[in-house]
Amino acid sequence: MKRILPLFLLAGLVLAGCSKSAETSGGGSAKKLTIALLPKSKGNAYFVSVRDGAQRAAQDLGVDLIFDGPTDTDPAKQNELVDNWTTLGVDVIAAACENKEGISTALRNAQSKGIKVITYDADAQTDARTFFVNQATPDGIGHALMDEAARLCAKSGQYAIITSTLTAANQNEWKKYIAERAADYPDMKLVAVRPCDDQKDKAQSEATALLSTYPDLKLIMAICSPGVPGAAEAVKQAGKAGKVKVMGLGLPNENKLYVHNGVTDSIILWNTEDLGYLTVQAAVALAKGTLKPGDTTFTAGKLGTFEIKGDNILLGKPFIFNKGNIDQFNF
Amino acid sequence: MSRYFREWSVAGALGVLLIVLAIFAPAFFQAQPLLSLAAAEAPTLVIACGMALVIICREIDISVGSQFSVCGVCAGLLAAHHAPTAVALAAAIGTGACLGAINGALVAGLRLPSIVVTLATMMTWREGLNWWRQGEFVYLPEHLQWFGLSQSAGQWTLIAAAGLLLVALALALRHLTAGRFLYAVGTDMEAARLAGVSPQRVKFTTFVTMGALTGLAAMMNVVQSPQVDPKSGTGLELKTIAAVVVGGVSISGGRGSLWGAFVGLLLLACISPALTHLHIEAYWEKAIQGAIILLAVVADGVRTRRKKS
Repeated sequence: MKRILPLFLLAGLVLAGCSKSAETSGGGSAKKLTIALLPKSKGNAYFVSVRDGAQRAAQDLGVDLIFDGPTDTDPAKQNELVDNWTTLGVDVIAAACENKEGISTALRNAQSKGIKVITYDADAQTDARTFFVNQATPDGIGHALMDEAARLCAKSGQYAIITSTLTAANQNEWKKYIAERAADYPDMKLVAVRPCDDQKDKAQSEATALLSTYPDLKLIMAICSPGVPGAAEAVKQAGKAGKVKVMGLGLPNENKLYVHNGVTDSIILWNTEDLGYLTVQAAVALAKGTLKPGDTTFTAGKLGTFEIKGDNILLGKPFIFNKGNIDQFNF
Repeated sequence: MSRYFREWSVAGALGVLLIVLAIFAPAFFQAQPLLSLAAAEAPTLVIACGMALVIICREIDISVGSQFSVCGVCAGLLAAHHAPTAVALAAAIGTGACLGAINGALVAGLRLPSIVVTLATMMTWREGLNWWRQGEFVYLPEHLQWFGLSQSAGQWTLIAAAGLLLVALALALRHLTAGRFLYAVGTDMEAARLAGVSPQRVKFTTFVTMGALTGLAAMMNVVQSPQVDPKSGTGLELKTIAAVVVGGVSISGGRGSLWGAFVGLLLLACISPALTHLHIEAYWEKAIQGAIILLAVVADGVRTRRKKS
């Protein structure tokens, strides 16, 4: 099978080239690859940032990039776009999937027409794409959060965690890896885990109660995005900015104010521009046949080499936003 | 005493909770955290007052959480575009009143059941807001927080505003004709109609009032932080209905007072921070709140059965 695959790839390329030249008759760029990048929602600042990275990769590689998606998170509209691109005969579709089951049918259909499919940000069913560009693994996130917390506290002191809900699967997964890493910091003591129901205001009340309950608290780690500004506002109102550190998983824009005020120290997420860049690099390499199933590493231009685990291309270590770099990001 | 038996028993339960805290977690009684808690709950009190009015006239409004979010985002966006605070406040109240009028028109005008109407509007406003804002925060200008006052002055202003509103509405409910109409409609619509009250008009007005109060509450929440979370207000309907029911307002209408809603809210609002202070795991929070609501409803059931027999 492995030997035949390059042949398939070649055939796909030729076919794609044919259909392309048929459509753009007269156009000189018949051999230029076309990559269609599908966001969950095209106006969303997060995906706008992904697009910026994707465009840089497209420029570096000299391919055409189509960036289109629903204006709101609408799975039906995503399917429609995939179907349109299938008819149009693009070379690769790279999708961030809103509805895993729903879009997989459309993606499989695209594959059957010889179009390469990869996913990024949110995966489809595994047989509906070749690779998933995985922006963050739970262990990567959990370890990065704990390492950063330990760094901010100089490896000792009480800390508390604010989660979205106590039963949320992703939160518990992260918590598991935070606990795993916490074993390396014996002087860090977790005093409480409080849920904020994914609301900033509730996170603020919870953090206020935490601050008065534990006068020696050194750090609040919020692992859901509304939790970070909520906790920061509580620390600010309690007049404990700087004394009690705030950090967590969140979006740069929601936290800029507090980062500049010196209330929040670090925001952890992945670098969304790199995610876009890597996705387009992988899409092009897949179309050209330089990236194949079974590979264990992938070199994405100037971003360097990335690990591939199974069919997941790992973006790698999460990115830490702080006072020095947070203004470069707008999402 | 017997007239306000329920209010006193809830106040008693709150007293017990506070005594337990005083013994086991005296750190609960610090000025700044309590002030922050009270200011954060002040908007909820305003909505609980409105909810009590709605329930007394034998209706319900579960769309308040969504209304709260819409009003907050509208007021926030206006403020972000340099509208004066007074304009943002007026817009919040106006938006709320309009949303309330839609509920009122459907309930009173078309005689539809309020639980279904407000369920529909709850989902519509919430999803509409998600579609419009994509969950993005609204970033407010700096002078808006605490109306440009100092933090504690701002917090006291909000608490005083909610307190004054509570007293005014409670007095109006007891002493004004309009207040009596509300009880009349809630007790027996037909009798109220025969007595010359227009139940539909009373209901419509109540829903508009509920909306306006929700808008006011949203603005009171907006000024407490530098950014508006469009998800804030989610679950507010349950919180306020619980407070009102715990406080002895009968869910079948016609009975209860705003004082009851007030002590009910105080009790429920203290539970979450109290559990943190007592080092009890968060899993218990909802269970304890649920048990309190259940107790209140059972007490109501026993009371009505006794009256019948």
